[in-house]
Amino acid sequence: MRWFICLLILAPLAYGDDLLPDERRAVARDPLYGQALYSLHSGEYDKALGFNYELRKKGRKGYGKILDIHEATAQLGLGMSQHAQSQFQRLLSDTRVSFLPPAARAQAWFYMAKHFYNKGMWLSGLKAIRKVNAGHLGSDLKDEYHFLATTLELFKGKAERADQHILAIDPSSKWAVYAYMNLGVSYTERDVHISKVEAVFNKALELTSNTEKPEVLADKINLMAGQFFYATGRGRSAIKHLKNVSLDGAYTPKALLTYGWALTEQWQYHDALQPWYMLKTSHSPLNQDVQETLIAIPHLLEKLNAKVMALGAFDYATEQYDEIYKQLGESAKRLNTGEFIEPLMSQQVPDRWGAFEAVDMSLPNHPDQVYLKDVMSQGYFQGELKNLRDLHVMKYQLQSAMNELDAFEQTIHTRQQEYSAIKKDAQVSLHKRTLDDLQSRYRGLLSRINKAFKNPDGTGLASEAEKEQLVSFKEVDQQIASMTKTMGQDKKAYQDRLRRVEGVLKWTLSERYSERKRQVSQNLAILEDKLRQAQKQYDAAKYAYQVAPKGFIGFDKKINTLRTTYQKQLAKLDKVYFKQREKVGSIVKVDIKKRQERVMDYQLQARLAAARLFDETSNKQRIVSGEVKQ
Amino acid sequence: MKAISYLARSIMLFVSFFMSGYSALAEQAGLDSEIEALKAEVVELNRELFDLEEQLLYPATTSFAVFVSMDAVKDFEIQSVKLNLDEQDVTSHIYRAEQVEALRRGGIQKVFEGNLKPGLHRLKAEIMGKDRDGRPVKRMVMAEFGKARASKYLEVKISNNPNQNKPDFAIVEWK
Repeated sequence: MRWFICLLILAPLAYGDDLLPDERRAVARDPLYGQALYSLHSGEYDKALGFNYELRKKGRKGYGKILDIHEATAQLGLGMSQHAQSQFQRLLSDTRVSFLPPAARAQAWFYMAKHFYNKGMWLSGLKAIRKVNAGHLGSDLKDEYHFLATTLELFKGKAERADQHILAIDPSSKWAVYAYMNLGVSYTERDVHISKVEAVFNKALELTSNTEKPEVLADKINLMAGQFFYATGRGRSAIKHLKNVSLDGAYTPKALLTYGWALTEQWQYHDALQPWYMLKTSHSPLNQDVQETLIAIPHLLEKLNAKVMALGAFDYATEQYDEIYKQLGESAKRLNTGEFIEPLMSQQVPDRWGAFEAVDMSLPNHPDQVYLKDVMSQGYFQGELKNLRDLHVMKYQLQSAMNELDAFEQTIHTRQQEYSAIKKDAQVSLHKRTLDDLQSRYRGLLSRINKAFKNPDGTGLASEAEKEQLVSFKEVDQQIASMTKTMGQDKKAYQDRLRRVEGVLKWTLSERYSERKRQVSQNLAILEDKLRQAQKQYDAAKYAYQVAPKGFIGFDKKINTLRTTYQKQLAKLDKVYFKQREKVGSIVKVDIKKRQERVMDYQLQARLAAARLFDETSNKQRIVSGEVKQ
Repeated sequence: MKAISYLARSIMLFVSFFMSGYSALAEQAGLDSEIEALKAEVVELNRELFDLEEQLLYPATTSFAVFVSMDAVKDFEIQSVKLNLDEQDVTSHIYRAEQVEALRRGGIQKVFEGNLKPGLHRLKAEIMGKDRDGRPVKRMVMAEFGKARASKYLEVKISNNPNQNKPDFAIVEWK
């Protein structure tokens, strides 16, 4: 009985395994499903969603709820998070085991958690991830699941649970690095002992070799560690990590700036100048780290007692801040005229869109290039910019679709013309006439042949004289037969002679029969060949008439309907595009305003410091001269 | 009286402030859902266009397609495939890492679609990739097939040979 219950419990598991997306179905291959799977796993979410709609339209059964999961996953990939969320919730609201197999359920909870995590709804993400039954997850998702669980548990401060998940991650997986990195960040926020933090960062650094871009990740970890150690007053440890950040990466400016401050903290003022000068000379003043450096350098020079140099540097910084403020103002103006965002949008690859496709920020020779790199790579801005990019890509797709419809219409027109030409040429009737003519000739010849070759002795082929001779032979034979018995000897002799003469004639006729038959067979074969060719031509003409040219029928209406829908969609999309552009623009404007305020603040500090320094240096002179007077 | 009007004005100010914040939030959420709805509509429209294209350009009587599939083969990673139909190169494809993974997970790729007249034809597929040790592997498979006046689908299939622990390459005809 116990075994029976076990079997009952295991039955839905087997069914669930069969429904996993990475499991090949053993039954006959369904190309539509296979293609949907290929598109989904290769990141072509729009195609995957299209195949999914098609599968549903065709009422494909036997896939259970896996199509729903595929649809929700593709929607997540395309950035349709609200749709995906409601899809997942619908899926998970049904608690019947038979309705949703455990494997599919685990996967749905996992994607739901991932969605909440990506959207920054971490508490909901934690609730979702805790519902995942890891035992039913596919092996390819397990490491990612543990990483997600680690991050979300750390967010809630459940370090022990997070540790358990970290230990479950395969160390050779890229998710192990991210998990250790997040653990390190969590330790820095939770005042964990410094040695532990150091060990975690070192472990993460050690594992970077398993990722696709180990250098970039190592730079990021080193910068994070450096910033943490600098903030906690451990300059030496900070220096050790910051030194390892590469000099031509995305994290270089921040690392150089922090490295300078860490050295300053260690009283190494001369050494601190070097990274800051390097930062100032090799990066644009629009970079916020450079802006900080502009005021940090004279501050350091002042500490080195090079006050005149410091004064000069403060003046230089004030001028630079003026210039930066002006440039930021121009960027804001370009925003209003569309010169800022439109060039960025126009360079996006037409078919690369969705939540996981990064926006191409490189704008060579554009005045806002540095600003873009600096600002738009910030996480908070990415979602809105991706939405705008997606709208731009969709606009492009709709326009190309309209062009395609025009091309289809042209094809139909050409086919219509071909059809009319074929109809006008009357090729079919022409070939039909030739064929009929040949067939009647063939039939006539065949009846004549049958008549002539009916008697294999060749009498059918005899001439009129020969026919008369043959008749006369019969008559002579009858006359001989009627002769009296007394003429026995002569009678036999006559009969022999008659047969000899008759034999000669029949032999001639039979020879002629064979010869003529051979000739007639040859002629017949030629005629049959001609007939076959004529039949082929007739069939081809008939096929061309029947099939190819009629390929335009019924498409006109479909094309017109689609074109109308596309036009409506394009008009709708244009409106939404402008709204989203406004939204992105307003975010950028606020950011520019903040940056301008920061620059003004720096400038004020620089001016005050310059004034103070000027005052100090001139007072010193006055004091010195006063002393001399006294 | 003054106090009452002051209170009324304060309440109105508070309500209008609250409502403006709420409407801004609602507007933002509305725009997001509008974008999502647009995405769903565009995907569906594109699918309809794709169907129309297939019906128009590849009618059932002449339609011919080649698919690529790969089992979870341990000792082979596909890099490219090149197809030659009746002594003419018709297409080639270079695989990205995620596309290889998609094939391994049971996906089927339509690598070529075209029109083919009835009769006897020959398809050659040149598959390139690398083995577990990173050594280049090149295989050529060939199939002769007949095409009638109906759609014809062929599959370049890479499967695992458990006995020899190496991949098998074949062209399979779909019935």
